[in-house]
Amino acid sequence: MPDHWGFVAAAYGLALVVLGGYWRHLLRRERELEALEARAEGDRRGSPGSGRVQ
Amino acid sequence: MTRALGWLAALGLALGLVMAFGVAPREVTQGNVQRIMYVHVPSVWVAYLAFAVVFAASVAYLWKRAQAADRVAHASAEVGVIFTGVTIATGSIWGKPTWGTWWTWDARLTSVAILFVLYLGYLLLRKMIEDRDRGARFAAVVGIIAALDIPLVHFSVVWWRTLHQPPSLMKPGPATMPPVIVAALLVNFVAFTLLYAYFVAKRTRLLRREEELAA
Repeated sequence: MPDHWGFVAAAYGLALVVLGGYWRHLLRRERELEALEARAEGDRRGSPGSGRVQ
Repeated sequence: MTRALGWLAALGLALGLVMAFGVAPREVTQGNVQRIMYVHVPSVWVAYLAFAVVFAASVAYLWKRAQAADRVAHASAEVGVIFTGVTIATGSIWGKPTWGTWWTWDARLTSVAILFVLYLGYLLLRKMIEDRDRGARFAAVVGIIAALDIPLVHFSVVWWRTLHQPPSLMKPGPATMPPVIVAALLVNFVAFTLLYAYFVAKRTRLLRREEELAA
């Protein structure tokens, strides 16, 4: 039977794209949450109720 | 801890590639296209594992109402869907040169497609229900019922006549493959399991942070 290397490359390439894509999605979400947390922390410090900024 | 898991998974995957392309021999009947097995079979193993974890975490959530169990179930379902997608796609690519078709509605392929749709539905359900506790409760029930499809998928090739071959591993009795092929497969099993653990750990932590921000 012929080796069909193209099919082998397609299968491994597709797995790499899907799993790598999911990994990148997790990293991007992590950065988004860090930015949101930093903004929320800034809002808390700047709020009049905190007693730090009048 | 999560970072260490990530590095271990990367190392395992690199070793898995070496085993699949450098150590495992060319298969006599199928030729080199059989090397797709080293990504296809570990993917379906991780899908089974992921949905078994969803089942266990869903039971734990309904019993103890622990938010952590719900987060693990959610993360594991998401990762399980990703690996089921990889299983279906790589199986289809393997099927074309060996069976002459990308897809056929035999018992194994159909039950895997149902598994994929069931857990996609699980994830959609979680997004649709705004009340967090209600959503978690409903999702846990679906997570338990959907797990019934896992044995159906695995034993479909034994119970029905299918184009898909019967299991060579994860079956009663010794493996029917040469030891070097089994070794290459086992290395990839470990690597994919580590990758699963890394993804679930990272996603679970992100879910907790999302909830803390929303509170």
